[in-house]
Amino acid sequence: MTLLMRMLLRDWRGGELGVLLAALVLAVTMVSGISGFAAALKGALRQESHSFLAADLAVRDSRPMPGDWVTQAEASGLKTARIMSFNSMVFAGDEGMVLASVKAVSDAYPLRGQLRLSDEPFGPLYTHTGAPPRGSVWIDPRLFSLLDIAIGDNVAVGNREFTVAASIRGEPDRSGGFLGVGPRVMMHVDDVPATGVVQPGSRVSHRRLFAGDPDAVAAFTAVLESQLNEGQRLQSIDGSQPGIGNALGRAEGFLLLAGSLAVILAGVAVALAARRYAQRHQRYVALLKSLGARSPRVRRLYAASLAFTWLVALLLGWLLALGLQYAALQAFAAQLEVAPSLFSPRPYLIGAVTALVCAVVFAWPSLGRLTMVSPLQVLRSDEPIHSAREPFDYLIGLGAVVLLMWWYSQDLKLTLAVLLGLVAVVLAGVAFALVLLRSGRSLGMQAGSVWRLALASLQRHGLGNALQLVVFAVAIMLLLLLTLLRTSLLDGWQQQLPDRAPNHFLLNIAPEEIGGVRTLLDDHGVVSERLYPMLRGRVIAVAGEALPVESEERDAPRQREANFTWSADLPEGNELVAGQWWSGSGAAEVSVEQEFAERLGMALGDRLSLQIGAAELEVTVSSLRTLDWQSFKPNFFMVFPPGLLDAYPVTYMTSFHLEPQRKEFLNTLLRSHPTITVIEVDAIMEQLRTTLTQVSAAVELVLVLVLLAGVLVLVAGVQSSSDQRLRESALLRALGAGRGHILGAVAIEFVTLGLLAGVLAVFSAEVAFWALQRFVMELDYQPSPATWLPAIIAGGALVGLLGLWSCRRVIGVPPARVLREL
Amino acid sequence: MITATNLGKRVPLVDEELAILKGINLEIKSGETVAIIGASGSGKSTLLGLLAGLDTASEGYVTIDGVNLQALDEDGRAALRGRELGFVFQSFQLLPALTALENVMLPMELLGDASARERGEDYLQRVGLDDRSGHYPRQLSGGEQQRVAIARAFAGSPRILLADEPTGNLDSATGERIADLLFALNREEGTTLVLVTHDLKLAARCQRQLHMERGELEERERS
Ligand SMILES: Nc1ncnc2c1ncn2[C@@H]1O[C@H](COP(=O)(O)OP(=O)(O)O)[C@@H](O)[C@H]1O
Ligand SMILES: [Mg+2]
Repeated sequence: MTLLMRMLLRDWRGGELGVLLAALVLAVTMVSGISGFAAALKGALRQESHSFLAADLAVRDSRPMPGDWVTQAEASGLKTARIMSFNSMVFAGDEGMVLASVKAVSDAYPLRGQLRLSDEPFGPLYTHTGAPPRGSVWIDPRLFSLLDIAIGDNVAVGNREFTVAASIRGEPDRSGGFLGVGPRVMMHVDDVPATGVVQPGSRVSHRRLFAGDPDAVAAFTAVLESQLNEGQRLQSIDGSQPGIGNALGRAEGFLLLAGSLAVILAGVAVALAARRYAQRHQRYVALLKSLGARSPRVRRLYAASLAFTWLVALLLGWLLALGLQYAALQAFAAQLEVAPSLFSPRPYLIGAVTALVCAVVFAWPSLGRLTMVSPLQVLRSDEPIHSAREPFDYLIGLGAVVLLMWWYSQDLKLTLAVLLGLVAVVLAGVAFALVLLRSGRSLGMQAGSVWRLALASLQRHGLGNALQLVVFAVAIMLLLLLTLLRTSLLDGWQQQLPDRAPNHFLLNIAPEEIGGVRTLLDDHGVVSERLYPMLRGRVIAVAGEALPVESEERDAPRQREANFTWSADLPEGNELVAGQWWSGSGAAEVSVEQEFAERLGMALGDRLSLQIGAAELEVTVSSLRTLDWQSFKPNFFMVFPPGLLDAYPVTYMTSFHLEPQRKEFLNTLLRSHPTITVIEVDAIMEQLRTTLTQVSAAVELVLVLVLLAGVLVLVAGVQSSSDQRLRESALLRALGAGRGHILGAVAIEFVTLGLLAGVLAVFSAEVAFWALQRFVMELDYQPSPATWLPAIIAGGALVGLLGLWSCRRVIGVPPARVLREL
Repeated sequence: MITATNLGKRVPLVDEELAILKGINLEIKSGETVAIIGASGSGKSTLLGLLAGLDTASEGYVTIDGVNLQALDEDGRAALRGRELGFVFQSFQLLPALTALENVMLPMELLGDASARERGEDYLQRVGLDDRSGHYPRQLSGGEQQRVAIARAFAGSPRILLADEPTGNLDSATGERIADLLFALNREEGTTLVLVTHDLKLAARCQRQLHMERGELEERERS
């Protein structure tokens, strides 16, 4: 034990242990920190997406639901709430009368997310949780002008009078299908009986909401699933993930990937550090053995020292990870309803296991091999322990990395994509190194002497250089890959939410109102998008087969209402996936959105029977399209050629961007055109934008951390050859080589390695990026030639500088001292 | 000609300085063979390092053919070493990644000598290792490694050869053969030889013997 302590102390002073320890600390910190943070982000995202249900779980039915569910749910610690939705007339004064979409909620509503209210129709927003007080209603802003009333006035629903207490502007669970829905009136659920509008047989939708901790929700979901009867539908977030969720989900994927790359980088750093440590210990082991220590004793000694190093690394790494998580979570604190715990055990466990695997798989092979050092080395120094098993160790290392990444990201495709890049870089790297370094000889002989020195040195260390090259290339590749992904991620968000994206929609503009609305918009300097004609229709038969109105099975085809439009050109953001866009032949055609077509069992060339109002119409499916759901643009399932629908009554819709301080314009607009429907999405978009900004900041933070890890690997890679280089240079100086000579050669050598590594990295990063985009992110792959040259140059410069830095001793110290130390 | 004037070397210890060399005065003429003898730790290697300009003196100065080493910068000294000096070290100091031949060629390649290969082969043959030219140092015995080192030292045709205990790591029979080789080549090339050793028999083969004791040098007449 004292031998162990003395050895550790000496190694610490000698700097050998420092690198190994740093690499292990890095592994723990990165992995624990990032995975903790990713878990927290995941939690935040789940909350975010749950708020779209206003709950963690919901059940919908057309009849009231059994009360014992609530008892059961409450028994397992869940919160519950109740919603009834139905359409009813709202009356005000003597003539005001509008068909409204009524939502009656219980006190706990919403269980997730918040309501947005204002005290003026389009006044400043505030958030609220809970139902309207008994006897009050909150109403859609457009109802104020439709009914010609103000806050504090009375309206009637059925037999009951209500006071209008606020304007309701946002509900977490108001689904995206906002087109064609009547204006909202929200009341307390206990007020419903007094209205008398809900009678047996009325069309009412009941929803029961549940929320609580994830395990209890999962357990309760299972219970519910066994008790559901026909007509009852379970709604969980997976079924209602909106486009925004996708974007944030990708951020989570990015973080997991970044964490996985951190694992690889840490593994490589550990392996390099251990290799160097073992090299420096050869003589010591030979000495111990010559003094009578036997192999098992040596093995125990090094196993104990590695275990001790691991333990210290674990404690330090955990501390740093805690700090890292704390810093990262600060950005999200305001956003989260429940702050995630900094002390949830999983991330720390992952960090500990990662460091253990790194120690066992990456460090131990080198250290364990020390037991094979022959005591003869005391007599004959500097014989490297070249082992035929080394390539085998690397394979095991690669396997371990893949398993770790998989365990860590829980995503096989992502793991395989990165593995593909790694394999590409290793294979290409070895081949590259062998070919180029071999052919360098003849080339170098004719060149000037600095070059000759450099190339000779590159060649001399053929194998070592191939290893260094691969290490550099792996590090640069991973950094490049991460940068590419980050750019694609942030660009995607930027595109999705351009600064002046339309944030208001106008629906139900009658054809004769178009002129008036135009003038009003122009007078107020509001720039609007084009006007889309819009009419509501129903698909009643596909390919001669009538669709049922309501289907027995949940997802089977049934008659569907949809918004129809017409357009001469393919609408912006749409993509044709089958068939052809019309060329003005005047035939009765339709272009259908792909998934909609699938749901209703339509295929290209099918004849459809449609119903618009009371009239019927036959058309042929001439093309299938995909839509861009991520955009806030109007999207239509069914698009017809111009002229075909001229005979039917049509209204128009448009969208425009309006700054918050100009909201008053909406009142003006609605006062002169009370039948127009205004849909505000600015609040949602603003919230989304802040979320994305914060997620972007987090992504950048993680990127910087992984970059640091990458640079550390480069340092370890450069250092791996620095001992040898130091003594070679000292000898060369003794034999008459000048400092400029040696520095020049070192620079050329490392810059060459860096450039080659850059080329390899660019190549394999594109391979991995392609695989990731294609199979994991499900985005289109596009090569990024703009990054190639900078990456290669940065590789050369960075590795060159690090090389020079690591060799600074070579020229600073008199050669006599170096030769004496060796 | 090598001279050392009032040469001293001190190194810092924890709280004081240790004088390794004190007031050394020395003159070695061209073509002379000089042995520096002394107990281990007396400062022989340090002196040799200073004479070669591998380290800098704390006091005094060294000249080689009238050039003051102290007045040159590190690169100037390196260039001088490349042109004028050859080395043989106790621990051979061959580059493990180079073959025997490449090790011998190294100093000439540094000078950009176009005939490095032929000369290297020639010298390897003269030390009797022409059949081992493609072998790496780890494939050679200690004596063979030292022969490669001697070939390397002479191949650049240095005017001065500095040898630090060239036989110190070898058994006496091998050591003797190495010494024979060293003196034979030295005679053929007419090189100035400065030989550090604690082997009195080896020292006796030199024209002059200088004794080093605790950092001070004393010349003794041949007995
Ligand atoms: N850089 C140094 N730092 C500390 N002590 C040194 C240093 N260089 C040499 N010495 C000491 O100076 C003394 C002479 O060393 P050296 O010249 O190697 O002796 P020799 O070659 O005669 O055996 C020794 O005691 C050695 O420990
Ligand atoms: Mg000595």
